[in-house]
Amino acid sequence: MKEKQRTLLIKLLLGIVALAVFFFIWDLVAARDPRGLLPRPVSIFSTLIRVVITNERDPTGHVFSEHVVASLFRVSYGFFLAAVVAIPVGLLWGYSLYAEGISRPLVELFRPIPPFAWIPFAIIFFRDPFDAVFIVYLASFFPIVLSTVAGVKAVDSVLIDAARTLGANKRQLFGKVIVPASLPHIMTGLRIGLGIGWMAIVAAELVGVREGGLGFYIHVMSDDFGLYENVFAGMFLVGIIGFLMITAISYVERRLSRWAGIL
Amino acid sequence: MGRNTLIQIRGLSKVFESDKARVEALTDLTLDVYQGELLCITGPTGCGKTTLLRILAGLESPNAGEVLLNGRAVSKPGADRGFVFQEFALFPWRSTRKNIEFGLEIKGTAPEKRQEVVDSYLKLVGLQGFEDAVPRQLSSGMKQRVAIARALTNDPEVLLMDEPFGSLDAQTRNIMQKELLRIWAQTKKTVMFVTHSVDEAVYLADRIVILTARPGTVKKVIEA
Repeated sequence: MKEKQRTLLIKLLLGIVALAVFFFIWDLVAARDPRGLLPRPVSIFSTLIRVVITNERDPTGHVFSEHVVASLFRVSYGFFLAAVVAIPVGLLWGYSLYAEGISRPLVELFRPIPPFAWIPFAIIFFRDPFDAVFIVYLASFFPIVLSTVAGVKAVDSVLIDAARTLGANKRQLFGKVIVPASLPHIMTGLRIGLGIGWMAIVAAELVGVREGGLGFYIHVMSDDFGLYENVFAGMFLVGIIGFLMITAISYVERRLSRWAGIL
Repeated sequence: MGRNTLIQIRGLSKVFESDKARVEALTDLTLDVYQGELLCITGPTGCGKTTLLRILAGLESPNAGEVLLNGRAVSKPGADRGFVFQEFALFPWRSTRKNIEFGLEIKGTAPEKRQEVVDSYLKLVGLQGFEDAVPRQLSSGMKQRVAIARALTNDPEVLLMDEPFGSLDAQTRNIMQKELLRIWAQTKKTVMFVTHSVDEAVYLADRIVILTARPGTVKKVIEA
């Protein structure tokens, strides 16, 4: 236990030092930027703290929290829909040859298309917020499906044999063995899907999915107002929120792995 | 002593074929298993002992021959044949109680009845006090006790055990062998026990079947 705390402390310290060095170099570069386009880290962070605390109204007429809420709402919506569709598809695909035969060509055809390539279509085809939700859905869907399939395929065959010798039929085998044994992999898929979904939403808002959202904020602060401290404050907040979401879901993932006996 | 035949194994052959290899695991194996006996099956590595047991369980199907249980042909897995695996094969997310209960849950037995049956088997295998432990909290000997109890709750006609103590340390193995004899005496179940250890077979068995090297068939039957 002591040893574990020591390594944790070392990692933490190294992390802090690395960040400090990184921002120090950034600051050196920023201070020498004759055009003043790269803001200094101190002013970025003070801007971030100011907009978050005062929730100030920006020149587009939105208060800051509206942007955060808009992005979170879109990402949750799209991610939720993706999970609801992708998990059952992945489970069936992993379990049944027929389902695999049907799903694989469809998924393999659409998977290489970057979700961002759908943005022009989404903008003309859907109304807000479904244009952005659609992009998040596409981005999250594939990692969830593929992890779920991998989870089903990785179920220890001796557990399947055991359940069959105990009298389980195919349906019971699926519900009582395959699904619980796949949960850690499904969770991994959800973590990756959420991370990609979050990147996708910001990108979609940036490229022009209507009003509001952190991507929109970053875009207009740069293009329309030239407020570069705000641009970077928005970017950092995207990073921080993404980090918090991934940390939370990783925690659940570890708990589930332990529960399913994988760790 | 009048012996009732429980299982008739007739001319069993099994070949495993893949793109690269063709392995004849069993050839023309014929054997009767009697009601209530503890039959050990042993033989050289790769002689098809495990394959034989898996065919009896319905986990593999033979290329030729048949297995009759009480005169009825066996073709797929069923609750009338319990199986104990070398790897324990416990469901890691289920507690001791929930693992043992699995077969009853599958059958749709009422929860009160389940509790009662599980309690009696917990007692039989000496796991009282560990009902709520999950497999990773149990020692390997205890895991195998759970697996034995789990197979027995279905009240099978025969208990098929595939090198069940093969992964245990010597001391635990000795204890478990004694425990198996006690459980066998108490339940009067027919047991087919596969082992590569002749010592183990001699210690446990009523009757020992020795298989030939691959492809396996009965070489010798020894009455103990």
